[in-house]
Amino acid sequence: MEILQLIQSNLLTPIILFFLFGIIAARIKSDLKIPEAISEFLPIYLLAAIGLHGGIEMRNTGFENMLIPMLVAIGLSLLFTLNHYQILRRLGKFNIFDSYALASTYGAVGAVTFSVGLSFLKNQGVSSEGYLAAILAVLEPVAFILAIFLTNMAVSKQIRAKKQSFTNDDSSDIDVGLNQTKTKLSQVLHESITGKAIVILLGSIVIGYIIGESGFDSIRIVFDEMFTGAIVIFMIEMGIIAGQRLDDIKKVGIFLIAFAVIMPTFNGIVGVLVATAMGLSLGGAVMFGLLLASASFIAAPAVLRHAIPQAKPSLYITSALGITFPYNIIVLLPIMFAISTLVHSEGTIDLFNYALKGLT
Amino acid sequence: MKLYNVKLLTITCEILAQKNIIEILKKHNISGYTTYEVEGNGARGLRGQGLQIEKNVKIEIIMREEKLSDVIEEISRTMFADFALVLYVCDVGVVRTEKF
Repeated sequence: MEILQLIQSNLLTPIILFFLFGIIAARIKSDLKIPEAISEFLPIYLLAAIGLHGGIEMRNTGFENMLIPMLVAIGLSLLFTLNHYQILRRLGKFNIFDSYALASTYGAVGAVTFSVGLSFLKNQGVSSEGYLAAILAVLEPVAFILAIFLTNMAVSKQIRAKKQSFTNDDSSDIDVGLNQTKTKLSQVLHESITGKAIVILLGSIVIGYIIGESGFDSIRIVFDEMFTGAIVIFMIEMGIIAGQRLDDIKKVGIFLIAFAVIMPTFNGIVGVLVATAMGLSLGGAVMFGLLLASASFIAAPAVLRHAIPQAKPSLYITSALGITFPYNIIVLLPIMFAISTLVHSEGTIDLFNYALKGLT
Repeated sequence: MKLYNVKLLTITCEILAQKNIIEILKKHNISGYTTYEVEGNGARGLRGQGLQIEKNVKIEIIMREEKLSDVIEEISRTMFADFALVLYVCDVGVVRTEKF
């Protein structure tokens, strides 16, 4: 009952309402559109704000306690990516390229989802550990690198098998295949690390760490108080894009629709429980779960289109943006918050306050 | 004024394919090209709306005839199957043929 109430009151926050409004605007074929420059600017702004907060927090708390959560997050992300692949390939009967592309899309993290999560917690009056921003940056390329590596291995194995049936002298072909894999991986690694999302995120973390709380005062109005407002504007754009894709959802098939809802739920809840076991705070556990639950829909297509061009982008963009993103921010976020509150015994009071706020 | 005959290759493709095209051009020692972002409709549906990464781009390359078939061959072999892409060729006249 409490979860339902949480979802209900979450539905009535400006972020979700504007997202739904964007979907409606797209459905009635309105020409409403956020100017391109602004929708390109907003993710950069959101990442800068996340990074600054993270950096300031890390100055207060230090780096030492971030190492274990970070390694656990990387391990879980890799594990989940492999798990997704097996499910998609064996149960979903997707081809190897689509399976790996989808597996890594769901293993990767969504920065927009992360921003919405932060703002959700802010709304609840709960804080989270600052180093989660650093984990967000580190986690971004991990799932892609694994998926691309495995795809290339599988492809070169296929090539080798084919070649072997023609001739026995095939050592040179394997070398060529391996070298191609290596150059592709180093390219992806370089592109991910120098990509704008990670550069602005890491840059802001460093700057936040240097300036600290006192230096932040002069820019607080932009990077703190305007944060939720900026997300709201971005949510109109996200809603419009998701709304335009609603028709495509039928095309992705019932299996992928179910996958796009069940997998994040499973990953997210595991994330919350693991984070709690590691001693993260109530809010920190929610954000940790959200990191693992979220799917990437801005970074993923840009990376995957080059690395695994055979995979159909309509599958992984539509399922991540059209199904998982709305599900995560509307339904899963309150569920994870409720679970995190349950496992953090002292948090029951927060939940009670929240339920009261929702009623009034 | 004397005009020299060269070829103009025009490629309309999804924006994420642009880098692959330019790499192929580089491989054939072609450094000059012009790109612009475009919108349109085609076999892969209405393109140019929504996400920035789903935009289309038009690439124009002027080159000598000798290189043309190799470039087109490589583009069709490596990219037609996976990317939204059309290409066509026209004859154009240029003044300074040594540039191409």
